[in-house]
Amino acid sequence: MMPARRSTTMLANLVTWGLVLLISFPLIWMVVTSVRPQTELFQIPPTVIPRAITFEHYIKLLQETPFLRYFMNSMILATSTTIVVIVVGTLGAYSLVRFSYRGRETLAALVLFTYLLPSVVLIIPLYLMMVKLGLANTLTSLVIAYTTFALPYALWLLRSFMAGVPEDLESAALVDGASRIGAFIDVILPQALPGIISTALFTFILAWNEYLYALVMVNSDQARPLTTGVMNMLITSFNIEWSLLMAASVMMSIPLIIIFAFLQSYLTRGFGAGGVKG
Amino acid sequence: MVTVTFDKVRKAFGEAVAIPSLDLAIASGEFVSLLGPSGCGKTTTLRMLAGLEQPTAGEIMIGERTVNNLAPSERDIAMVFQSYALYPHMSVRENIAYPLRKRGVPKADRPAMVQAAADLLQLGPLLDRKPRQLSGGQQQRVALGRALVREPKVFLLDEPLSNLDAKLRAHMRAELIELHRRLGKTMVYVTHDQLEAMTMSTRIAVMQGGELQQFATPAEIYHRPANTFVAGFIGTPSMTLADGEITMDQGRPVLKLGTLSLELPADHLSERPEGTRRVTVAVRPEDILVGTGSFRANVRLVEPTGHESIVLVNAGDVGFTVRVAGDTVLKAGETIPLDLRRERIHVFDRESGRRLNADLAAATADPVRSRA
Ligand SMILES: Nc1ncnc2c1ncn2[C@@H]1O[C@H](COP(=O)(O)OP(=O)(O)OP(=O)(O)O)[C@@H](O)[C@H]1O
Ligand SMILES: [Mg+2]
Repeated sequence: MMPARRSTTMLANLVTWGLVLLISFPLIWMVVTSVRPQTELFQIPPTVIPRAITFEHYIKLLQETPFLRYFMNSMILATSTTIVVIVVGTLGAYSLVRFSYRGRETLAALVLFTYLLPSVVLIIPLYLMMVKLGLANTLTSLVIAYTTFALPYALWLLRSFMAGVPEDLESAALVDGASRIGAFIDVILPQALPGIISTALFTFILAWNEYLYALVMVNSDQARPLTTGVMNMLITSFNIEWSLLMAASVMMSIPLIIIFAFLQSYLTRGFGAGGVKG
Repeated sequence: MVTVTFDKVRKAFGEAVAIPSLDLAIASGEFVSLLGPSGCGKTTTLRMLAGLEQPTAGEIMIGERTVNNLAPSERDIAMVFQSYALYPHMSVRENIAYPLRKRGVPKADRPAMVQAAADLLQLGPLLDRKPRQLSGGQQQRVALGRALVREPKVFLLDEPLSNLDAKLRAHMRAELIELHRRLGKTMVYVTHDQLEAMTMSTRIAVMQGGELQQFATPAEIYHRPANTFVAGFIGTPSMTLADGEITMDQGRPVLKLGTLSLELPADHLSERPEGTRRVTVAVRPEDILVGTGSFRANVRLVEPTGHESIVLVNAGDVGFTVRVAGDTVLKAGETIPLDLRRERIHVFDRESGRRLNADLAAATADPVRSRA
C-alpha cells in the first residue's frame, strides 16, 4: 500500500517538475542570456550556465538608449488606462446590476458583441479619428484605444462581481441612513474590492503588453511604449541585438512579476469569487 | 404620533402583480404583525414602506406625510432584513454603530448606545467579531441590534426571530414586547409564526396572494376569522373545514354536513338564507366535544402531545380534528359519541368565502388587547 502510493506521488512530482521546467525554460534562458557576455552568445555547443556574468547589457540599455523613456511611457499608459477603465467600469457595472432601465440586458450583451470585431478592422478608423482630434502620436490616443477594448471586458467582469454582492446589503445601508453614493462606498465597494483589484491588474497587464495598437498609432519616440520601442530599437532588418533584447525583456517583465508576487492571491481569489457567482 | 397608512397601494414586478391593492391603516404606537404564507407579499409590503421599492400605484404615508418620493434615509425607519444583511467587512460593533454614524449621532455617545443594544440582545462577548464568525442566530441578533440601537419613527422587522432556538426566541419575544411597551413606537413585524403574531401583536394583518384577508386583534382573528382562508390558516392544528348546506327549518337554520344534521342557534347567521345555501363551515379542534352528544364518530388516529392529544375522527362523511385533554383514553378504531359546540361553528359562503356568522354577542365579549 504505502510504497505504491509513495511511488505514484513521486511520479506525479516528477512529471509536474518536468512540465514546470519545460514551460519556464524560455524565461530562464532569457535571464541567462541577458547576463552572458556577448562573446559567449553563439558558442557551440551552448553553455547552460554562463562562464562569466556581466551586467553590461543592462547598463548600456539604461545609459545609451531611450529604454527608460519607453519604460516611463508604458507606466503612464498602463496606469492611466487602468484608472479610466476601473472608474468607468465600476460605475457602469453597478448601473448594469442595480438599476433597471430599458435595454439594460441588450446593453450588457452589446458590450460583449464588440469583441466580435477584429481589432485590425478598428485600428485604422481609430487612428484617423485620433488624427482628426489632434491626438495622433500621443499617449492619450493609446489610453483611449486601450480603453476601447479593455472596458467591455472589465465591465463584464465587474458586473459579475457586483452581482455577487447581495442587494439587501445596500438596502440595509440606505435604511440605516446612507445616501446612494454613501451606500456604494460603505458597502458595495468593500465587497467588490477583490474583484476590482483583479480587474485592475488584468487591465494593467493588458495595457502593458499591448503591441498592435501601439505600433500603428504611435510612431514618435516621445510616445512609444516599451513593446514597440524595444522592438524598434533592437530589431532591424539586418540585426537583432539579442543580449540587449533579453536584458530589456527581463526589465519589462519585472513590474508584472512584482504584481504577481504580491497580488497573486487577489487574482486567484477575485477570479474564483467572480466565477462562482457570475 | 406615527401612523402608517397604505392607500390603494399596488405593486407589480413587470407583468407579475405581487400586491394588487392594499389598504392598511396602522395606528400610532401599534405592534402590527403581517402574517401569511410564503410569497404572499409581506417583505414587499415592508420594502415599500422602507422606500426600497417604489409602489406601482397608490400612496404610502408615515404620519401625516406622504413618503412615496422620500429616499429610505429620509423616512426615519429601522429595519431588520429577512436575510440579516449584516455588513461582512465590519465587526459586530461597527455594524450596530453604522446607523448612528450615518445619522450623525455624536461620536462620544455611540459606544454607550451600542453597548445598550448589545446588552439587550446578549451580544456583549461578540462585539469584536466579524459576521461570518457568528452562528445564524447570533447574526440575526446583530441584525436586530442594528435596528434597535436607534429610536426611529417606525420599526420594520422581517422575521427577526426565525433563526433563534426555542428558548432564545421566547426570551426575545418577551424582550420585544417589553421594548415596544417602553418605547411606544410603531412596529411592523413580519412573521410566519402564528404564535409570535398572536402573542406580540396589537393587531394582525393576515395576507394571502398580496391581498389583505383580515386586519384585526389576535382574539378577533382567532375567534371570528373573516373568511375561509383565515379560518384555515390561523390555529394549530388547523380548523376542520367542510362543505355543507344550510336550510331554514321552522325559523332555525339547519346545517347539513354529509349525513350529519345540526340545528344552529336562531341568531347564528347575519342573514336568513333563502332556500338552500351552499356554505363552508369551520370548527376549531377545541370546539368539538367527545364522550357526549348525539353523533357517532369513528376514531382514526390519536396523536398524544402530553398535556393534550390531537384526535382525528370520522363522523358522517366528514373528518374532524379534535383536541382533547391528555388523559383522555381513546384508541384508533373505537366508536365514540361526539358533539359540536354549535354557537362556535364558523359559517362561510362557499363561493366567496365570506363569513356569514352574526357574531354580535361574541364581538362585545372579546377583550381587545392593547399595551398602550
Ligand atoms: N424583485 C422581484 N421581482 C419579481 N418578483 C418579485 C420580486 N420580489 C418579490 N417578488 C414576488 O412578489 C411576491 C411577494 O414576495 P415577498 O418577498 O413579498 O413574499 P413574502 O411574503 O415576504 O414571502 P416569505 O415569507 O417567503 O419571505 C412573490 O410572488 C415574489 O415572487
Ligand atoms: Mg419575506
